[in-house]
Amino acid sequence: MPVDDTDIALRNITYGLFVDLGRAPTADEVAAATTTSVDQVLRGWQRLHDAHALVLDETATALRMANPFSAVPTPYRVTASGRSWYANCAWDAFGICAALHVDGLIETSCPDCDETIDVAVRDGRPDDEQLLFHCLVPAAHWWDDIVFT
Amino acid sequence: MQLFRSEEHLSRWLDGRPCGAVLPVGTLSDLAHAWWGDRVDPSWRPHTREQNQAILDRLGLTGDFWRLP
Repeated sequence: MPVDDTDIALRNITYGLFVDLGRAPTADEVAAATTTSVDQVLRGWQRLHDAHALVLDETATALRMANPFSAVPTPYRVTASGRSWYANCAWDAFGICAALHVDGLIETSCPDCDETIDVAVRDGRPDDEQLLFHCLVPAAHWWDDIVFT
Repeated sequence: MQLFRSEEHLSRWLDGRPCGAVLPVGTLSDLAHAWWGDRVDPSWRPHTREQNQAILDRLGLTGDFWRLP
């Protein structure tokens, strides 16, 4: 079943809570915010998951990703406007600053040498232009396994 | 999808494995803003494949690697 306006409203409330809380909201928290039942939230989340509008974990009862935000700790931590979130990858780390339209700090490390990489994003630009981004999986296969991608 | 200090660090990490696509971090930031910029806007609607492909094309991310399904 495709997503409809009700699902998109659910998705927007879910994202809003993710931003406000600095972590993934639970189905209970979203149900309370939408004055609907947990079951209705989970069914809506499943339709959004199927439409690639968010990603549920293996239990299908909790968020794994609300891209660019990650519901689980990752090597990409983003701090902005006095709050912090985990991003799913380097692309998503920049995506959090982009989605919130704010400057921020991305904290990660080089996969080769493990040395800390701190990148400040100001007015949409990274303060270290020497860094390189590597994307392993071709676009045609990103959603084959989005967690691996 | 990872950040590396330099080409040297990426090459060492790959250790002979096939390389994917490599972009300057400035291009990555441009891509992130185009791709995710509307993600928490109240007026957000799902991007179509064509919209997303246009973002990639506009940034010069063309060819088979960047072709969406």
